[in-house]
Amino acid sequence: MNASSDMSFFSLVAGASLPVQLVMLILIITSLFSWWYIFIKVATVKRAERDAEDFEDTFWSGGDLNKLYDSITSHRRKPQGMASIFEAGFKEYARHKQQTRMDVSDVMEGARRAMRAAYNREMDELDAHLPFLASVGSVSPYIGLFGTVWGIMNAFRGLSSVGQATLTQVAPGIAEALVATAIGLFAAIPAVIAYNRFASSVDRLSVRYESFMEEFTNILQRKS
Amino acid sequence: MLRQRENPDSFKAGVLSITVHAILLGALLVSFNWKTTHPVSIAEVELWDSLPAVNVPKPEVTPPVPVVKEPPKPEAKLEPKPEPVVEPKLEPKPEPEIAIKHEAPKKPIKKEPIKEPPKEPVKPVKKTDQLAELQKQLLQEPVEKPKKPPVNDALKKLQQESLSDSGTSAEPKVSAAKAGVVDEFKAKIQTKIRNNVNKSLCGDGNPEVKFEIALLPTGELGAAPKLTKSSGIAGCDDAVERAIRASEPLPLPEDKTLFPQFRTLKLTFHPSKD
Repeated sequence: MNASSDMSFFSLVAGASLPVQLVMLILIITSLFSWWYIFIKVATVKRAERDAEDFEDTFWSGGDLNKLYDSITSHRRKPQGMASIFEAGFKEYARHKQQTRMDVSDVMEGARRAMRAAYNREMDELDAHLPFLASVGSVSPYIGLFGTVWGIMNAFRGLSSVGQATLTQVAPGIAEALVATAIGLFAAIPAVIAYNRFASSVDRLSVRYESFMEEFTNILQRKS
Repeated sequence: MLRQRENPDSFKAGVLSITVHAILLGALLVSFNWKTTHPVSIAEVELWDSLPAVNVPKPEVTPPVPVVKEPPKPEAKLEPKPEPVVEPKLEPKPEPEIAIKHEAPKKPIKKEPIKEPPKEPVKPVKKTDQLAELQKQLLQEPVEKPKKPPVNDALKKLQQESLSDSGTSAEPKVSAAKAGVVDEFKAKIQTKIRNNVNKSLCGDGNPEVKFEIALLPTGELGAAPKLTKSSGIAGCDDAVERAIRASEPLPLPEDKTLFPQFRTLKLTFHPSKD
């Protein structure tokens, strides 16, 4: 009604009804978390790729496996990625090797199981937070839409009590309701993009890990 | 919530996340024009005390004609008695004037009705003689006609009332002038409406339509025009009614005291005649 109605962003948010404000709050928190996870994921995935690269380089450089194992375990830090798979497999292999009465196939089976376990742990680490990003990507637009629908419902309900309906009476309500959808989309779009990108990165890493496991199994079999 | 190996990155990621949101908020505030400089729709309204009558000056010019013509008669008879008027400058004036006008109006006005009616019928009879004279008289007629009723009223008043007040002497002049203005504006209203009538709807005959209209002081119609006499052609009646509505606001004299005479007007139209 009044020509001087404040349409600034903050007054829109402040003027929204409580459910809409709650929806906005949930979406903003969700968006903050999803972005936090995105950045964490970017860092961890990048590091895992770099580690795999480095480890493959050193592994295929043809050095002594015992030395490699020693250098890995001598680190204070627990080995990660491909190194942890190598560490688990080689430890198991060496342990079985000491018991001379064991069959070669049993030794290989044990080493393989150990590597499989390490691989699963690694995959679990790499997959962390991806379900959250997927949920944010698919659900937050709906949450935003809910807030918008609620806000527009309010705007039109208020309009019904007025005899002469003008756009200026509905516009602020719709504008503030649309802010909810905007925030929902802002949370969802990066989450979906990040999810797809991380899923493909993790897939590629898992393929690398598995192929390394097969190759390392072959090497151990030759050794024994 | 966080894996152990993610801990070193968590703080950096948190800062980045907040940064991203701050950037988005900034972009939102900058890119959108949140300023609400509504183009305030100002409807400029000029307030008029009275109608913006374009023709107003004219009525003031024309009415003086009857006013001027009238006074001479009493004045002419005042002239023979200039002495009382000159000597007692202010106070005595009313008395002699009234006295004079008592005598004076009676004589001239009684003469007028007698003289004029004969003239009018007589001259049409003489038709053949002088067209010019006829025209002159016809031109004078509208001026003279309005005089009669107010003058007669004044006469009656003068006869009935006491002779003391000088104000009464002025009344006939004023009322006559007003009557001139009233007729002037009635004619203006009539012509304004007539100009808006779609004559083609009224056929070739000479239909007569009578309407009674109620006017507001602004010149607008107070109520729907009332058809008092139909022309027999519905389309013609409608055309005249539309013309009345289209003629709003109707011209009214500036003098608000005259308005009561315009409150209800009975207008007769001959749409095909013009």
